[in-house]
Parts: sequence; structure tokens; C-alpha cells
Amino acid sequence: MKKLVIGALAAMLMTGTAHAEKIGVSIALLEHNFLAVMAKGMTDYAAKTPGLELQLEDAQNDVAKQLDQVNNFIASGVDAIIVNAVDTSATQAMTDAAAKAGVPLVYVNRQPINVDTLPDGQAFVASNEVDSGTLETKEICRLLKEKGKGSGANIVVMVGELSNQAAVQRTQDVHDVIATPDCSFMKIVEEQTANWNRAQGQDLMTNWIAKGVKFDAVVANNDEMAIGAIQALKAAGVARDSYVIGGVDATQDALIAMQAGDLDVTIFQDAHGQGAGSIDTALKIKKGEKVEKKVYIPFQLVTPANIGDFLNKN
Amino acid sequence: MTDVAAANDMFTARKRKSLPAEMNAFLGLVVLILIFEALGWSLMGQSFLFNKLRLSIMITQVAVVGILAVGVTQVIISGGIDLSGGSIIGATSMIAMSFAQSSVFPRAIYIEQGWVDLPIVIPIAIGLGVALICGIINGVLVAYVKLPSFIATLGMMVTARGVALWYTEGKPISFPTDGFKAIGEGLMPVWIFITVAVLFWLILRYTLYGKHTYAIGSNEAAARMSGINVERHLFLVYVIAALLAGLAALVLTARSQTAQAMFGTTNELDAIAMAVIGGVSLAGGRGSILGTAIGMLIFGVIFSGFIFLSVDAYYQNMVKGAIIVGAVALDQWRQKRQAMEI
Repeated sequence: MKKLVIGALAAMLMTGTAHAEKIGVSIALLEHNFLAVMAKGMTDYAAKTPGLELQLEDAQNDVAKQLDQVNNFIASGVDAIIVNAVDTSATQAMTDAAAKAGVPLVYVNRQPINVDTLPDGQAFVASNEVDSGTLETKEICRLLKEKGKGSGANIVVMVGELSNQAAVQRTQDVHDVIATPDCSFMKIVEEQTANWNRAQGQDLMTNWIAKGVKFDAVVANNDEMAIGAIQALKAAGVARDSYVIGGVDATQDALIAMQAGDLDVTIFQDAHGQGAGSIDTALKIKKGEKVEKKVYIPFQLVTPANIGDFLNKN
Repeated sequence: MTDVAAANDMFTARKRKSLPAEMNAFLGLVVLILIFEALGWSLMGQSFLFNKLRLSIMITQVAVVGILAVGVTQVIISGGIDLSGGSIIGATSMIAMSFAQSSVFPRAIYIEQGWVDLPIVIPIAIGLGVALICGIINGVLVAYVKLPSFIATLGMMVTARGVALWYTEGKPISFPTDGFKAIGEGLMPVWIFITVAVLFWLILRYTLYGKHTYAIGSNEAAARMSGINVERHLFLVYVIAALLAGLAALVLTARSQTAQAMFGTTNELDAIAMAVIGGVSLAGGRGSILGTAIGMLIFGVIFSGFIFLSVDAYYQNMVKGAIIVGAVALDQWRQKRQAMEI
């Protein structure tokens, strides 16, 4: 916190300097692991950009505080503002304030409710949720072909919490990929929820094995359920080379499972990249360049081939 | 002394009458199994029940909540309710696991302090210690401060979840030692559940502790008149419930080989539902561990049965809900009938 204050003071002193650009950043909750990595992506970007000053503020999950921060940014004459919204349904006020003052505003990671009506000079930077399940399923499709199962393969799908948007989207992605001619040899034989949960993933897989379900691949909506499935498959003595298995999130546990050869595919959401991307987009708007209203930072596919790049990222 | 004996007699008479409660649950279990068995042969071409792996997973997948339900059952019999079990599982799991990590994992939480590869008694003792503290707070609030048990344990439900989230700011803790994993491996959760269930079945049925629990749940004023130290007894009931939640947490953590802050969420409601389905009366004073165990098996059969038939999880929840409501309706009807007989 002290560092932030000093940074803010330093930034205020810099305002008078001719070529310096100043960006105000309000993060919903800096304690949040993912958001902390995202903030790091911003400060890293600023560190290698001469003349760029960041004023980084923590909104501490307080909607009112975040709005105050944005208004203070505007009052102190920043060149652009980046907001990681506390409440994605309360973004209109910030959009209005920034638009009135003519200050560029970039939302990052959390999609604002008014994303489709953002005025000029405002944008949203994040990863496209559609990509995660799609990347996962495509890679599993590729691996199955590589194993010579391109003429027909059974897959089982482990779904996250039924009420959760990411679970619904990722499961839809699996269906969409299978609908393409390239991967139409894959057939879903079972699809059930295990609530994102490892123990429930274990239970679900054991129940499937008991039933005698024959499958060539396991597509899980997240890594925890995939790891649960791996534990159950091991306990039941199912041969490792008889199936391909993938998850999403690239958690520490998943990466270690992958290093041990237990997991084939996972997907990394690039927090650092989203942070850097938001600054990049803000600077472009400031310079008057044309940017898309939605700027997507790609999810990244993690496999044993490139796992080294991800071990220390989360 | 004679008063206590009289109260005991009264309670034994009540208990004999409550036998059909378990019978209902047992019949329900049998009917469910028969339905799945018939559907299995007609739709899947295989037996539902006579499958060693399915039989074992049916019990294993509900054993953790079953352990919790044993503790909840004695609370309900004493006339109270315990909503804190699921959150105590979360807090216990996180804290115990941080002392059960293997040095294989370079980012173990206490690796700098050298607290890795510890003998399993340490995480077990620390875990049960956390649960004990929660139980003491619950017990004091209910028995001595006289808060309604719903409120006191609701407070603990929120607080213990807060502790679980605060401990690592939501980050999971993984990679336990092989010794710790053994607590949850294979059928170990089932054996632990059976041990706990038999122990508490005997305690509730044959010891003074059990008799006092029923007596307080039936009529607290009468129990007090007959010389039972109601405060001390209720305190013990809540402490034991929390300790069993702690034990459930250890089993779940070892089985998952990870601890996550949201572990145990809504488990308290499943535990209450198991007890209620098994004929434990929410009005207190009636029910048994045997009934709860049957309720637990009904849950296990439903989970496995629906996966067996590849039924959508949406329907599973609807059926689960219907069974809970049906069981309570049956309980109400039975109580009314009993009241009329008296």
C-alpha cells in the first residue's frame, strides 16, 4: 500500500513533465492472485516504456471506492484510465464520467455490462471464454488422430457447476468442435457434472468405470475435475495409454500432473498478457489509433511440449 | 436417581415407537435399488447393484458427508441444528493440509520453516484442534449464551468459511505426504465412517450420554428436572459434532490430495437431509444413527444410479429435493399419528 502511495506521489510530480504519459489503474482486489499477476503485467509494461507512469489503486472490492478513484483520476488529469471492475453491472457511471471528460477508458478482465454500447475512446480487454474449451477440445482431437483413432473415438465430458457461465460455455465449445468435419470422428458417450470439484471428479469417473463406459478421451471443464479423474483411473488400474485427458486453468497441480505424464492438455489464461494488453490498448486510444471495442488476449494451450514456459506464471 | 430412571424408561418407550421411522427409510432404499436394478437390466443390460466397483463407490462417495451426518444427527436428536459442519470442513481441511505437505512440492507453504514431511499425527492433531475450537465456540454459544442453535452455527458457518478463505487467500494447498494420503485411499473412508457410525450408534443407544441426548431433545425442562446438567451436555454435543466435521475434513483432504477453501460447501445441508430422510425428527428426541446411515446410502444410490442411467444432473437435484421434502412430510404425518395415539 505504501508503495502505491509513493508511486502515486511520484506520478503526480511527473504530471508537469512534457512527454510523460500517465495512466490511472483501478484494480478490483489486488489480493486476488489472478488480478495481482495482471497488475504485474501492467507494471512490467510500464517499466520498459520510458515516460509512462502508472498510478495503481486497489478498489478493495468496494464499488463506491472504485468510482471515487476513477473520478480522482479524471480530476488529476490522467491521459487514460484502466478499470478492472468490482461490479460489472455498475460500470455505466464510470463510462459516463470518462466520456464526459474525454479521457480514454479501458476495462480489463471483467466484462462490463455496457460492453456493447461503449462510446468511442473506450474498450474492453480480456480473454475470450469461447477459446478455452475450443483450444482444449481441438488439441484432444489432434492427439486422438495422432494415436490412430481418427476413424472413431468415444469421449466423456466432465462439466463444472451447472449454474456457471464458464462451464456452460466450455461444454458448448466441446460440442461445437465435434460438429466440425475435422473432429466429427469424436463421439460424446457421457456428459455429467462434477461441480469443478476434485473429489466429485473422482466419484464420477469411478461410477463410469463401474458402468463399463469405454472411452478414448476425457474432456474436463477444469483441471481439478481432470485430476480427480486421473486419480480414479489410476486406482482402477486403467492403462494410461488407453486415454487422452485434458482440463482448463493450468493450475500448479495440473502442471505438476502434466510433468508426471498424467495430464495431456490444459489451457492457460494469460493474466500478465491481459494487464500488458490493457495498457497497450489505452496508449493506442490516446494516440488516436483505431482499436476494436473488444480486444482479446488469447488463451494459451499448454502441453508437455511447452510446459516449461508456464511453470512459474501462475 | 429414580427420576432419571423414569425419564430413561420413558425415552426407551419412545424409541421403540420410532423404529418404523428407520423402516420407512430402509424400504425407500430397497425400492430405489429395485428401480435402478430393473432399469439397469431393461435399459443397460447389466446389474446395478451386483457390481463390486459400483457398490464400493456408492458408499465411498458419501462416506465423508456420512461422518459429518453422524455428528449432525446427535445435534438434531438433542433438539438443535448444526449448520457449521460444511464450513468447519473447509477451515480444517486448509489448515491441516498445510502441515501435511510433502517436500516433493517446492512451493509447500511451510517449506522455509522446514514443516514438511511431518508425521501424520501432526496434521491430524492440528486439524482436530481447529475443529475443537469451532466446536467449543458453538457449544458455549448454544449451551451457555443460550443463542438459538440455528443462529450460533450460522455464525460459525460464515466465520469458518472466512477462515478457510483467509488462510491462503483462496489458493489451494496440495501434495500431501504418502502417509497422509493413506487416510483417504481406497475403502479407508468407508471403514472410518463405519467405525464412527457403529461407535455413535452404541453410544446413543446404550450410554448415559445417549440417554441424556434423547431426554433433552424430547423435553428439555423435564430433562433438567430429572437432574441432567443440560448446559454441560449440550456443550459436549456441539463439540463432538465439530470434531466429527474435522474428521470428515481430514478424510476428504486425504482423498482429494488437496485442500480448497470451498471444500464442504453445502455438505451441512446434505448431512441434515441424510438424517431427516433416515427418520431423525427435526423436533428433536427421535431418530438414530442407523436411520442416518440409511439416509446416506439413499444419497449414494441416487448419485450412482443417475450416472448409471446417464441422467442429467438437473434431474438429480430435483429428485433429491423431492425425496427430502417427502421424508419430512412422512415424518410430520407420523408425529401427528403418534400424538393421536397418546
